Amino acid sequence: MTMGLSVYLLIAAALFSLGVYGAVSKRGAVQVLMSLEMMSVAVNLNLIAFSRYITPEKMTGQFFTAFQMVVSAAEIGLGLALVVAIVRAARTAEVDRLSELKG
Amino acid sequence: MSDMFVTVSTVALGIVVLGSAVMMLASRNVVHAAYWLLALSLGAAGLFAVLQATYLALVQLLVYAGAVAILNIFTIMITLRRREDAVREREFSVPAAALALVFFGVVAYAVSQGVPAAAPVPQTFPGIAEFGAMLFSVDGWALPFEIASLVLTAALVAAVWWSREEEAR
Amino acid sequence: MTMNWVALIPILPAAAFMVLLPMSRRLRNKMLWLPVTAISGSTALSLLALAKVWPAGGEAEGGHAAEAIWHVAWPFAEIGTQKLMLSLALDPLAASMLVTVTIVATCVQIYSLGYMHKDERVGWYYAVVSLFTAAMLSLVLSSDLLLTFGMWEMMGLCSYLLIGFWYELEGPRKASQKAFLTTRVGDLGFLIALFAIYKTVGTFDLATVLETSAQWAPSAALVVSLGLLWAAMGKSAQIPLHVWLPDAMAGPTPASALIHAATMVAAGVFVVARTLPIFEHAPIVMTAMLAIGAATALAGGLMASVQHDIKKVAAYSTISQLGLMFVALGAGSATAALFHLTTHAFFKSLIFLGAGVIIHAAHTQDMREMGGLAKHLPITTAVFTVGSLALAGFPPLSGFFSKDEILALLLHEHHYVTFAVVVLASGVTAFYVTRLWFRVFAGPVQTEGLHEGHKSMTMPMVLLAAITVVGGFGTTLYAQLLGHEGEWPAPAMWILSLVIAGTGMTLGWWFYGRRDIVVNTRVWKQRLGWFYGALSQKLYFDLTYERLLIGGFFRLSEQTAIFDGRRIDAVVNGAASAFVFFTGLAWRFDGSVIDGAVNGLATISKSVGTSLRGLQSGRLQNYQRLVLGAVVLLMLYFVLAVKGA
Repeated sequence: MTMGLSVYLLIAAALFSLGVYGAVSKRGAVQVLMSLEMMSVAVNLNLIAFSRYITPEKMTGQFFTAFQMVVSAAEIGLGLALVVAIVRAARTAEVDRLSELKG
Repeated sequence: MSDMFVTVSTVALGIVVLGSAVMMLASRNVVHAAYWLLALSLGAAGLFAVLQATYLALVQLLVYAGAVAILNIFTIMITLRRREDAVREREFSVPAAALALVFFGVVAYAVSQGVPAAAPVPQTFPGIAEFGAMLFSVDGWALPFEIASLVLTAALVAAVWWSREEEAR
Repeated sequence: MTMNWVALIPILPAAAFMVLLPMSRRLRNKMLWLPVTAISGSTALSLLALAKVWPAGGEAEGGHAAEAIWHVAWPFAEIGTQKLMLSLALDPLAASMLVTVTIVATCVQIYSLGYMHKDERVGWYYAVVSLFTAAMLSLVLSSDLLLTFGMWEMMGLCSYLLIGFWYELEGPRKASQKAFLTTRVGDLGFLIALFAIYKTVGTFDLATVLETSAQWAPSAALVVSLGLLWAAMGKSAQIPLHVWLPDAMAGPTPASALIHAATMVAAGVFVVARTLPIFEHAPIVMTAMLAIGAATALAGGLMASVQHDIKKVAAYSTISQLGLMFVALGAGSATAALFHLTTHAFFKSLIFLGAGVIIHAAHTQDMREMGGLAKHLPITTAVFTVGSLALAGFPPLSGFFSKDEILALLLHEHHYVTFAVVVLASGVTAFYVTRLWFRVFAGPVQTEGLHEGHKSMTMPMVLLAAITVVGGFGTTLYAQLLGHEGEWPAPAMWILSLVIAGTGMTLGWWFYGRRDIVVNTRVWKQRLGWFYGALSQKLYFDLTYERLLIGGFFRLSEQTAIFDGRRIDAVVNGAASAFVFFTGLAWRFDGSVIDGAVNGLATISKSVGTSLRGLQSGRLQNYQRLVLGAVVLLMLYFVLAVKGA
């Protein structure tokens, strides 16, 4: 049996769903961010799998992944900095205790 | 890479990746969760390598398994006051699980409806050298690359700004 | 017959590490026999390897480094068209180092069974020591500079882990950070050298690099040798990068014996000895090496003379002895340096292990609180005396032969100033060794319940002492092994060494041994006020780094912050007031024309908003759920719509 595109897509989908679950259910800000990282890995896996099977020579998906990695690295850096700032200001890192968006 | 090798390593790495994702969500200790995320990143890097994306596998190792893992652990250490804070209540949320399941169902259904036909497999896959050449060629991806560097710089500045001590602001 | 079993020498301890790594702490603590067995196996194989490379019947050609008898290379990565190899080679030099490292490592591991058995993380200690040994053995066997660098860093990692082994305490944590940062400064040199080598030769293969080094541009040889020298100075704790080694004594004593006395710190000397042909094309670097080595030998000895912590004395003594090895390298003789490295590895690890027993018995590391241990610790006293005499260069112990070789070399190469400095340093060595001996073993007993170490601790020390006693007589054999004509020391050298050691020891006795009471040296400290002060402040190296580098960094960041506050804020404030001005203009327009229209809309949206207010809980997580839920709904729509179409 050879591995087709769909296997990778399913792995990525499962990973993304687990990330969704984590992002929604976890209360610790760091864990939420880690779940987001999981989701971004899933996205990268999708892109690379498409690149390998659809455009193996142009590597379009790989380049997209490279930029996706840049963006998610920025996101993680900012997110964690934000967590640190929130902990300093609000003395908690529990997402469900933050309700400052309430208008 | 032989088909056999690809099959075996994909299955093994898939198990590693999904297994450590589940363990990450299941572990009550935040620090352990961070280490499971590290395992997940390593597995994902392996998958990238199997998919002939050598450069991205290396970046995945350096950035996610290296830098981001350390950043996570540092943030955990900074934000936790006491050692006991690392261990949390078991949290299980039914609506979240339902949402994730629906999501997976939708994607799996979409995938089952057929995926685009695969292009013919080339003799040799382009390697790191070709990737680098295309990334930096003006007709290729040089412009997005420069923009990405700006994005990163901006993020860096903002991250430093946000995490400064309150008095310094 | 293939000799691929040589590769097992580093693989065995590495395998022990891999097995121990994933275990639980309790299980790991019970598995101590595994690393000990592994390292014993490596020792046996190393002895076998040495027998294989032994020159048959003294046929060695003079002045020629003997050839490798076993070579293997596995490609492990490909970058563009360049293959990176993992290549190992066994030549006589490597074989002799293998034997040294494995014997010391075995002794240390057996000793640790007794020394560390009460520690709750003893299994982890053994795992790291095994990893370290594997890295050191690979470095010795490596015939590829990239692999050498990798192993170099791996040893560094193990060194930090072991220095900071008791991470609950402030001291070890700080010390391991200091070791990390200082050796990192040195490792930069290694990287620069690697870049320069790759640029010049296009490969990291050691044999190719050495062969072509004669054709390099002088500048390339200069950069490479400077970089390697700098790296070796960091690893081997040479002035001015020596500051981390005394602090590294915060780790467990047997680990200090293995890593910070016998093997890792000698890696710098070893790598320079391996690449010495490159240095020969950069004579100025050779001279610098000579000067640095001599300065370190003397300064290390002097600083050892004023320390009170028994391990710090040993640490400064290591620094000083490594300086001697650098002197030998600077004078162009790898053989002399490596022979001293070998004998030093044995007698210095012996001294460290002895110090471990002493610390266990006396419950302190401060020599002022010790005394009279000779009566209660007979075995330790005996072996420690052997080690000390060897360190002092007293004939006919091994230290005498190796030090003598360096002195003879300096005379032969006409480095008279260095010769004088080294003679002085040897005298100082004899002095501080005697001081240490009398402080610890003679004088009144100051501690209750002194007891000899466990058999597992004394046995390795006896073995090391035996090697120290007979090892020196191997001097001609060793030279033969490396392909040189060996010579026995001339009678004049015997006398000179006796005079140097005798003078130093007499002085030491005169200060510390004459009376049977607690020693009072305050008078002398006052007479030599500034000199003693400078020495006890470690010659101001640590203070200078603190003020200049660390303080400077903080001052720089302060200045930057001030600049940030003044200039940047002004710009931002200016932009803000401009914005306020324009909004003011806009507000006038807004007030008269738009308000009417907006008010009507507002009434509508207010009623809609009230009804939607339930959703606006302000809780982050609810927003998240809404967003993701909406995404899922959208996806569902798309999938169904595509199917419908």
